[in-house]
Amino acid sequence: MVKLYALSTCPYCRMTRKFLDDEGVEYEEVEVDKLEGAEREDAVEEVRRVSGGTSFPVVVAGEEVIVGFDKARIKKTLGI
Amino acid sequence: MADPPRRLFEPGTRIEDLKAYMGPFVARLGYKFNSDTEFVDAVLESELELLESEGDVWCPCRIRPDDRREHAKYVCPCIPFYLDAFGAVRKCWCGLFVRGDVERGEELHGAVEIPPGPKTVRVAAASDLADGQGKTVKVGKREIALFRVGDEFYALSNLCLHMYGPLGEGYLDGHHVMCPWHGWRYDVRDGNTDHPGADVRTYPVEVRDGEVFVTV
Repeated sequence: MVKLYALSTCPYCRMTRKFLDDEGVEYEEVEVDKLEGAEREDAVEEVRRVSGGTSFPVVVAGEEVIVGFDKARIKKTLGI
Repeated sequence: MADPPRRLFEPGTRIEDLKAYMGPFVARLGYKFNSDTEFVDAVLESELELLESEGDVWCPCRIRPDDRREHAKYVCPCIPFYLDAFGAVRKCWCGLFVRGDVERGEELHGAVEIPPGPKTVRVAAASDLADGQGKTVKVGKREIALFRVGDEFYALSNLCLHMYGPLGEGYLDGHHVMCPWHGWRYDVRDGNTDHPGADVRTYPVEVRDGEVFVTV
């Protein structure tokens, strides 16, 4: 399952979401800034652990972690 | 000429106000607004939302950690804090600003960093790990699980592909590590697991003069 970590305020996150939708990719999205309390802390910590930072969007597909709206890399990783 | 002091933006601030303030500021740093005006307006619209809710204009693509000193580095424009990183990709993180020599800013959308070539890094002393032990090491942004079985060392991605548990903290049984969170098992020699499509990447390891090196 593809996982998208995003912020509601982030233009690149919106572009990534639209791209995944347009390509018909099934994914689970976590809008980190809309979480609260411990749930938010856990999500931020998870993003930091998988991507090494707190920049968004972060797409996790299998073992690939793609930071930013890198369309070419997303396409290659997902085989679309 | 000194940079203008930061000021708090007042309620009713518009996109044009942000542009008027930010333009001269980033020009002194060798940057300008991206030529993709639609994108620029979308970013600044997001920043106005953040101004409304947070009291200042923050990078809309990054979330601020729980560290007040770090927070300052996420204020927009954040270029002074990341001159080296942004200089390499010729734009700021969001792409709101690009280097002055960039003609078509939209071509940089999605550029995050220059992909590094393979590099070999010392990650531990061989004596740090006893037979059957593992640990997590960091190489750049990668978390790597390092294991010792007898006199052999193995390195693989630290992320279990079930729920991204830390394999470096797992339990080693011969050549198999069991994820400490839910028990998924991986062969440390090749990263293979019984779960379809969930094998993890391994990295070459070399021991020289009692030091362990991993190539990523």
